[in-house]
Amino acid sequence: MTSLADFWSWLENLPLAGRIGESWWFPLLESIHVLSATFVLGTLLMVDLRLLGVAARQQAVTRISGELIPWSWGAFAVAVVTGSGMFITRAGTYMENPAFQIKLVLLALAGINMAAFHFGTFHRVAQWDMAATPTVAARFAGAASLLIWAGVMLAGRWVGHLQ
Amino acid sequence: MTGALRDLIHAINSSAVHDAALYLLGNIPGFPPMVQTVHILGISCVMGSIVLIDLKVLGLALPSQSVPELVRRLMPWTWWALLFVMLSGLTLFVARPGRYLVNPLFGIKFALLIPAVVLAAVFQRLVHANPGEARSAGALRAIALVSLLLWIGVIMAGRWIAYADYLFPAE
Repeated sequence: MTSLADFWSWLENLPLAGRIGESWWFPLLESIHVLSATFVLGTLLMVDLRLLGVAARQQAVTRISGELIPWSWGAFAVAVVTGSGMFITRAGTYMENPAFQIKLVLLALAGINMAAFHFGTFHRVAQWDMAATPTVAARFAGAASLLIWAGVMLAGRWVGHLQ
Repeated sequence: MTGALRDLIHAINSSAVHDAALYLLGNIPGFPPMVQTVHILGISCVMGSIVLIDLKVLGLALPSQSVPELVRRLMPWTWWALLFVMLSGLTLFVARPGRYLVNPLFGIKFALLIPAVVLAAVFQRLVHANPGEARSAGALRAIALVSLLLWIGVIMAGRWIAYADYLFPAE
């Protein structure tokens, strides 16, 4: 019976983890992580502001989201890969770090918010695609996304202050 | 360290803004990560404005949008965001100028940042002066490519300030 703690230390003992943790690989991954995270936020910001009815009010919501969300996902994938690379160097320590725990919770909330939006009001987007001010549900999703992702940034930045 | 640099660090360290920034950073719980987060969120706006415009000009993103309209709508975001990036950055800088001014990565970051900001202003002027898009397309594309690379470099160099020892081991 293997516990989670064993799994974290197994990760930490991978040759790759040692390689990253003891070299310039770590700051390289971290700088790419920050770069991709800012790109995730920069692209989501534009979509969220459209959902809120604050910006690009004359443009179809699907036109904005269709051209930007693939970039958000691509940058998010890079952030996950680079983040995982940093994570395995000290998996157990990160899992006990309150800022890291909050960051994971916020990421989960971001996912739930996105899924609820996608399978909820976005399902009927044809009805409000051109609306300068989208539906209440869409505006809520946009506002929640902005707040949650700003929180992810803050929690992520806080991780390094608690080690 | 040169004498002028030492004098500059000394002058900043004896100023009232230095004392204020150091006090806030040291005494308000969570103030350092909050200031850093403002810095990063501002950078996110730069990514969502000028960097995205660069990608558009290079033909990589936002196929249905027009460059002049993007410039008109998004570049005010670039400048406002840069104001907040500057204020948060200054807060960190005046608190510990010695830490930054002697850091080679800090110098590299600004060597990339200054041309990036100048290029953004030039780009905005070019598009304003010639909204027809086609005429200066080649020049705009060249600016966009350099701008994109500069911003990537600025952000990466900024994060590497904390790891300068890896690249420039202390003697």
